Amino acid sequence: MKLSRRTKGFAAVASAAAFALLATGCSGGSSSASSSGSSTDPITLTVTTFGTMGYDDLYKQYEAAHPNITIKATNIDTGDNAKTDWQTKEAAGAGLPDVQAVEEGWLSAVMQVSDQFNDLSQYGANDIKDRWVDWKLKQATDSKGRLIGYGSDIGPEGLCYNRTDFAAAGLPTDRDQVAALFGGDTATWDKYFAVGQQYKAATGKAFYDQSGFLWNAMVNQQKEGYYKTDGTLNVDGNADLKTLWTKLSAATASGLSANQTAWDWGKGKAFTDGTFSTFVCPGWMLGVVKGQVTAAGGDATTGWDFANVFPGGAANWGGSFLTVPTQSKHPQQAADLAAFLTNAQSEAAAFGVAGAFPSVTAAQSDPAVTGTNALSTFFNNAPVGTILAARAKGVVAQYKGPDDSVIQSQVFGPAIQQIDSGKADGSTAWNNAITLLNQLVVNK
Amino acid sequence: MTATLTPRPAQTSPEKKAPQKKVRLPLKYRLNRFDVKASPYLYVAPFFILFGLVGLFPLGYTFVVSLNKWNLLTGPAGFVGLDNYVTELNDPFFWNSLFNTLSIFLLSAVPQLIGAVLIAAVLDQNIRAKTFWRMSVLIPYVVTPVAVTLIFSSAFDEKYGLINNLLTSFHLDPVMWKTETLPSHVAIASMVNWRWTGYNALILLAAMQAVPRDIYESAALDGAGAVRRFFSMTLPSIRPTMIFVIITATVGGLQIFTEPKLFNPTTATPGGPQRQYQTTVLYLWDLAFNRQNFGKASAVAWLLFLIIVLFGVLNFLISRRIASTEARVSKRRMARRLTEYNRNKIS
Repeated sequence: MKLSRRTKGFAAVASAAAFALLATGCSGGSSSASSSGSSTDPITLTVTTFGTMGYDDLYKQYEAAHPNITIKATNIDTGDNAKTDWQTKEAAGAGLPDVQAVEEGWLSAVMQVSDQFNDLSQYGANDIKDRWVDWKLKQATDSKGRLIGYGSDIGPEGLCYNRTDFAAAGLPTDRDQVAALFGGDTATWDKYFAVGQQYKAATGKAFYDQSGFLWNAMVNQQKEGYYKTDGTLNVDGNADLKTLWTKLSAATASGLSANQTAWDWGKGKAFTDGTFSTFVCPGWMLGVVKGQVTAAGGDATTGWDFANVFPGGAANWGGSFLTVPTQSKHPQQAADLAAFLTNAQSEAAAFGVAGAFPSVTAAQSDPAVTGTNALSTFFNNAPVGTILAARAKGVVAQYKGPDDSVIQSQVFGPAIQQIDSGKADGSTAWNNAITLLNQLVVNK
Repeated sequence: MTATLTPRPAQTSPEKKAPQKKVRLPLKYRLNRFDVKASPYLYVAPFFILFGLVGLFPLGYTFVVSLNKWNLLTGPAGFVGLDNYVTELNDPFFWNSLFNTLSIFLLSAVPQLIGAVLIAAVLDQNIRAKTFWRMSVLIPYVVTPVAVTLIFSSAFDEKYGLINNLLTSFHLDPVMWKTETLPSHVAIASMVNWRWTGYNALILLAAMQAVPRDIYESAALDGAGAVRRFFSMTLPSIRPTMIFVIITATVGGLQIFTEPKLFNPTTATPGGPQRQYQTTVLYLWDLAFNRQNFGKASAVAWLLFLIIVLFGVLNFLISRRIASTEARVSKRRMARRLTEYNRNKIS
């Protein structure tokens, strides 16, 4: 008797709990929908970021300063997965957060539907416009002149090199001398490949990990890349690109490329066993190099250093923006939060935490950026913040067409792999790329 | 005689009137009748409503999308009829993906089924610690495919992987597991096999256990060896289960996605730098989410659906044929025995 009464009690509790679950499940959507323009009503702002953006402490600061605002942050592991997440929600027309971080690599896709994002000039962007480097602002402006994103980090490119390997080849190891070796401010790709031949002759080893990152930098340095500014394709018959491709494939064919798998590098081993001695380094890549070396058991003594030079002139790779989708119920508050996360103090703090190099000019000279930190210690005490600030000068905002990332990955990706693995020579690989271009982009 | 021919109105009239007389049944009975007639449909309704929502509707909607030029982000841009199907059937990448899918399917299904039958046959013997061995073959199935792929992907790495290191230490040439077609198919098939062999072995083992032990005994008494008993008794007895295993392996094999997607996740093109192991599902994922061509991706989804239906029908026909030959054989055998029995009785 006693037992059965107890079981009945449990059943009642259980069913009540189940009902409560159902009830809360149903009401979950409506709580965020109840909104009003007043600035004192308690509201929840959702933020979606990816990778390591270093915002966690900043959210707490913002919540402390605005007691009525609760921040619900979601961080997705990689930019690519964040793209899939955004795309799915955009296509479905629901589920996007109040503040959505967008990576430069898929900004062209975002620009196809730029009317799905709020024009931030309506929410106070005009007052803070001059805080960013001008090309970052241009990247975030759509064809109708609407500013849809606040710049967070940028990826100015410098050259990573390995001191130990350079010493073994009889090349200078001091980072200023290395910068001079590659030509300093007038560094060209010809000079880079010539030094590579010298290194190869002395050591018999490859100079760079694979050709893809070099090609990416070469294209990004052009005034117009895969697309002309008017939106027409600019690959077939582009003499500048063809010349660069010929140089790259010739250097690769002579054994300067280590034919590594990018983003894998044998789980970092290739960085520690002298497989290659130079590496293309945007600001955020420094953290990647450190991670790879550490994963393979190396440390600062492995010899990686960072030089203030880049072949072919200034180049940018990557970087992010904070946008406010029109799905947001609180565009003003969301824009305010985005503005806070991208002000000089916040960006300097994020650099200290995550190594994201600021796009805000004032933050670039902040002691938190120029001083020593874990990254600079790893790179032989190189003043990474100062070097990156110098590398950011002269970058141009290139127009990216809707299929830019498809051309980069699916048209030139296979061609790069062919020249790296020696399965095709430069001109054959170029022709294959043009065939792919026609198949995937022109006649899609 | 005449009496029977004469009509008897008195008797027939009440029968005619009976339907006209309306008897109003009490509510209780009407509810009862409603219960009997409608309740069964209500009981099965949840399944059909759910199936309609998450099965039938997406299927139909995908078909509608496939008839349009449809960008994932910007939405529909005009009705194009069957154009997406025509261009896909002329696209070398579609056929490439189909070839890869079938090649990986054959490389995985055939060794997998042979292995599963052998393992099941061994487990069917009277061995010590039966449960331990049975649970052990199921362990690979418990591990998520993502984890399996990450581990195998590392082992199959071309420059630093375990397998190529072993090969070079025996002075053999390293195999290009991730950039050549056949080696990559073998590598992916090995992941599938590792995961599914044990699972299929357990299902086949259950079928083998259902075979009556006494017929084995009598066969052994008649002098049939272990091999003879396996081929002449075990295999024919588990035929229906075998067909089930083959059908599920086919459906799963044609939809393979995780293994090729994560085998070399860093390549620019999903499924290998030159699409060496881009399977059809991976191809349609790439079409939808990298190339944003939702219309064509839906067309590929439908083509794949039709191909799977085709394989299903083929499987069904083959299995029915096997079943009917079995029946025919046993019927013939029965007839022969009956005639022999009758002949003996007569003589």
